[in-house]
Amino acid sequence: MLVIRPRSDFEVNVEAEITPELATKPVEEIRRFRVYYGNRLVPLEELFDLEKKGDEEVLILEGDFSRVKWVGMGMQSGEIIVKGNIGAHCGAFMKGGKIVIEGNADDWLGAEMEGGEIIVKGNTRHLVACPYWGDLEGMKGGKITIEGNAGNYIGEKMCGGEIEIKGNAGDFIGTEMKDGRIVIHGSCGYVGGDMKGGEILIGGSFELVPAFVKMEDGFVGDVNVGGQGKVKVLK
Amino acid sequence: MRNAVCTFCGNVCDDIEFDGVTGKNLCPIGEAKFAAKRRIEAPMVRGRRVSYEEAIEKAAEVLVNAKRPLLYGWASTVNEAIRLGVILAEKLGGVYDQCSSVCHAPSTLAMIEEGIPGGTLGQAKNRADVVVFWGCNPVEAHPRHPSRYSVMTKGFLTKGRQHRHVIVVDVRKTATAYLATEFYQIKPGYDYAVFTALRSIINGHEKAVPEEVGGISKKKLKELADILINGKYGVIFYGLGLTHSRGQDRNVENIVKLVQTLNRHTRYILQPMRGHFNVVGAGEVAAWEAGYEYAIDFSRGYSRFLPSEFTAVEVLVRRDCDAALIVASDPAAHFPKEAVKRLAEIPVIQIDPHPNVTTLLADIVIPSALVGIEAEGTVYRMDGIPLRVKKLKDTGYWSDYEILKLMLDKVIQLKGE
Amino acid sequence: MLHIKNGIVIDPKNGIIGEKMDIFIKDGKIVEEVEVNGCKTIDANGKLVVAGGIDLHAHIAGGKINTGRAMRPEEMRHVRQKTGKFRAAVGRTLLTSPAIGYEYAKMGYTTAIEPATPSIYVIHTHEELDSIPIIDKATLPLFGNWHPVLRYSADKDIEKLKSFVAWVLERTKGYGVKLVNPGGVEAWMYGGNVKSIDDTVPGFGVTPREIITSLIAAVEELKLPHSVHIHCNNLGMPGNYETTMETIKLAKGFENERRQVLHVTHVQFNAYTGSSWRDIGSGAEHIAKLINSMDNVTIDMGQPIFGYATTMTADCPWQFELHKIAKAKWCNRDIELETGAGIVPYVYRPKNPVNSVQWAVGLELGLLVDSEKIAVSTDYPNGGPFTSYPYIVTLLMSRKFREEEMKKAHPYMEKATSLSSIDKEKSLEEVITMTRVTPAKVLGMENKGHLGVGADGDVVIYDIDPLNYSSNDWQTILKAFENPLYTIKSGEIVVKDGELVGETWGRTFWVDARADTTTEIIEADLEEYFNYYTVKCCNYGVKEAWLRNPVRITAG
Repeated sequence: MLVIRPRSDFEVNVEAEITPELATKPVEEIRRFRVYYGNRLVPLEELFDLEKKGDEEVLILEGDFSRVKWVGMGMQSGEIIVKGNIGAHCGAFMKGGKIVIEGNADDWLGAEMEGGEIIVKGNTRHLVACPYWGDLEGMKGGKITIEGNAGNYIGEKMCGGEIEIKGNAGDFIGTEMKDGRIVIHGSCGYVGGDMKGGEILIGGSFELVPAFVKMEDGFVGDVNVGGQGKVKVLK
Repeated sequence: MRNAVCTFCGNVCDDIEFDGVTGKNLCPIGEAKFAAKRRIEAPMVRGRRVSYEEAIEKAAEVLVNAKRPLLYGWASTVNEAIRLGVILAEKLGGVYDQCSSVCHAPSTLAMIEEGIPGGTLGQAKNRADVVVFWGCNPVEAHPRHPSRYSVMTKGFLTKGRQHRHVIVVDVRKTATAYLATEFYQIKPGYDYAVFTALRSIINGHEKAVPEEVGGISKKKLKELADILINGKYGVIFYGLGLTHSRGQDRNVENIVKLVQTLNRHTRYILQPMRGHFNVVGAGEVAAWEAGYEYAIDFSRGYSRFLPSEFTAVEVLVRRDCDAALIVASDPAAHFPKEAVKRLAEIPVIQIDPHPNVTTLLADIVIPSALVGIEAEGTVYRMDGIPLRVKKLKDTGYWSDYEILKLMLDKVIQLKGE
Repeated sequence: MLHIKNGIVIDPKNGIIGEKMDIFIKDGKIVEEVEVNGCKTIDANGKLVVAGGIDLHAHIAGGKINTGRAMRPEEMRHVRQKTGKFRAAVGRTLLTSPAIGYEYAKMGYTTAIEPATPSIYVIHTHEELDSIPIIDKATLPLFGNWHPVLRYSADKDIEKLKSFVAWVLERTKGYGVKLVNPGGVEAWMYGGNVKSIDDTVPGFGVTPREIITSLIAAVEELKLPHSVHIHCNNLGMPGNYETTMETIKLAKGFENERRQVLHVTHVQFNAYTGSSWRDIGSGAEHIAKLINSMDNVTIDMGQPIFGYATTMTADCPWQFELHKIAKAKWCNRDIELETGAGIVPYVYRPKNPVNSVQWAVGLELGLLVDSEKIAVSTDYPNGGPFTSYPYIVTLLMSRKFREEEMKKAHPYMEKATSLSSIDKEKSLEEVITMTRVTPAKVLGMENKGHLGVGADGDVVIYDIDPLNYSSNDWQTILKAFENPLYTIKSGEIVVKDGELVGETWGRTFWVDARADTTTEIIEADLEEYFNYYTVKCCNYGVKEAWLRNPVRITAG
């Protein structure tokens, strides 16, 4: 297990592509692990206090990590526990393991995620589980649970996996979604634009784009792309 | 000088007659551009008058010492200067962003998703029998657009106003709406839904469309779809009404999909109404030099594009820069409060002919020659057509190009590469 | 001054095939043996020494490739080089301008031609060309759908057409005359196309046949260094080889002692039999036979490379088709009264039967057509990256390598093409011809493509011994062409051991053909046309003073 704490407030944001695997490395290697601090590459220990407790594949992030980006990028196993807020791209390209964020998450949480689990106790900003600009597929597998609210653009071009939002979400839910499942307990804005497949369940109010046909158990569309996506009321 | 090029809006009119003081053929906003205005008198470092060389050297030091300098502006200068700006950002490991990120960046994002089926303004003039203005108001923002390119102009095949069906769609009855054959008033924030509804109607899925969408009745929507589809050659112009309202890039993406659909039945093109005279160049030059149009970060020694993080506003709001070079722009007047707050905290270098709000918080101010009047170079009109703006009179001011050239040399020297 | 000693030279134009000899460069040119005292010497003992490669058709600059970059961030994420002594270079198959210059140099190419510029956008094209380091370049403006051209062709007014061509080349600083789907792009403005060279272009009463022959006549009378350069009608469509054959035969009425009168480009895309995607096959043998039987037509391959590509062409109606077929994003630009442009991303998949046929057709052409009549190209970035030229050359040289690669392709290829039955292996001399001599001759660039005295000092040294190599050892051939020991541009060493070591700035060639023409006879027409333009005639085009390093070539 590795506990990481920021030494002080950063002058510019930090890009730290750290995964739980780091906790299994020798202390010397951990201290020298390089992160981007603006246009400089610096050793992890220059910006963070590091405390290694055994070889367990677990990262504990204590303090303010809201300006630390790309945490858990591409991680395959192990666990990250974020005690506070986390910066953008947390869990992007994640393949396995678990991330628990006790505070809020920034944009691009679980972007293009393939597997594993992310739990956010607070809120998230925009672009949860979305594909990066130019890519054709978003989330492919795994599960994201958001206890609070989420921003705009959720699960675009999603191909698999599940997103559950306990609170409300913003606009553009499941745009161009192909497969997988989005569950929103609260309300949200536009839903289902150019949806081809998959399922969206919503507990509160929402605005379905005018391209869905009402069926017995919900709506099917988007008709403009010959879609078989289902939008249903969450019971 | 005849056939001078106006450097105000994205129209880039090239028929201005300039007599050294004022220009003929100018619209009211172009006239303001050509009129003599207060200038920044001399280079200054923290209020002290210095030589160009000294100001540039100081600026280079500030930029080289920064962990992530922001280089912003660019839409109101020439490509030759912009190119140096992109190279400067690369060599500094900084962020290059341009005014597009606060106006038509959603159009770039929509293009990344779907492409843009577009054409030149001459196509509107020569061929269009249906002209749509959606969320834009050229009568006020691009005053000569209707007469030069889109509404009253006499074209090769479309001979004048009477041969054009002009449609205006907006949230309020704008000045442009009075030029229209038909005006459709739309509920703010519902452009996206209306595009989907039109697509559903044109694709033969009327039953998916409710009785009213975005404040427009289904009957009216069907009527609009009919007009669109019956055009032989249609042009849709759109503006900040789409890119700056709910949905932003998704709005543009959806209008692109509508135009794709229309092209399966007849011919249509789509054209954004770009603002600054060279905002297109500020994107194009960056694309050939670095691969992307805006929001480019070079901190890793190569270009990366992330509009959610590397636009000037995001970089400032996220406190992700520690110095800024502002060229031919006034972010202090136009950016959100949070962003301006950060700008006030960090060293700011400004290159601009005129004093503005940003000048008040700049540490180093470098006056430059007026592009299109005192300095020449290439600019791209809103449809990408390149035009050479001319030098119409002499000046003692350095051009943006000259300033940036020396700055780049100094930076390379300081970095020892 | 530079002295390359002991190399094994292949210089087919000068009849030198694998001779051990020394090459001397002074002031950027190949010279006779000079005083070598104090001059830098490169020992090329046992290595292949050839002229720099020439790409006669690559969309390396201008609105099309740049829109491609902007619409495809997924392409630009590939990092080739970080910033440092040289510029950062990024791009997978679509490259930034710095990356284009660097990558050409890194495979021993020193000249490339941008083959399709809408004249009204030509300043942009030149700005991008001027941002590409190292290589020499030129651009070909588009003529095939331009209203004055359609009108003069309909009127059979060759004198006016000549004046117009000369006027355009001067205004655009263009190098030659390019036609893309002549007549078809004008028809596209109302959603149509032309289906054969005898279809009438709507509104003009002229056929592609008349447009093509009128422009050949004008270009030949103007004595331009380069012939008409054509992208045929019906590109991409099954059965199109017949249109291509018809087009090629149009050259029969013309003669030129120095070069071809018609260059047909990326012929692979225009060499299909069949009536649909289900029965598409190869028309390469027919076309090869026809080309080999004529002495006034040349072609280039347009070889597709399995993997990513971005299609970009003035052939708007075809691009719209491709957008529908590939279900991919689509940029289009209709351009005033001149032409158009379309861009669609594409992936050539070996498991796709049509793509496999395309791959084989390109190679069939490369193998069956005489090396003096065909140049290597991918129609970058339409068929794939130009960085695959070493791969193409190796495929042409080694049957064993072809067999390896054919295993990846869809079995339909076997049925629809004759590639697997072709035993031909091109020699080093032949591939050097296809990448140097032929493109130089096609372009009418006398100082390029060879190592004779007076030629440009563009020399490449490859790590292969021409007197001792085996076509079965394709790995050695591929590696040699991918990593030149030296690339020398105008006498400067720019690449060493496959790595960039120097950055120079090349020239931009343009052709001045005004000597025997007068703009007087077209002045009234220009005045009329410019009423319908959105820029003033006097603001149209580009001046030499705006270019980094222009070189004017006088026609005749």
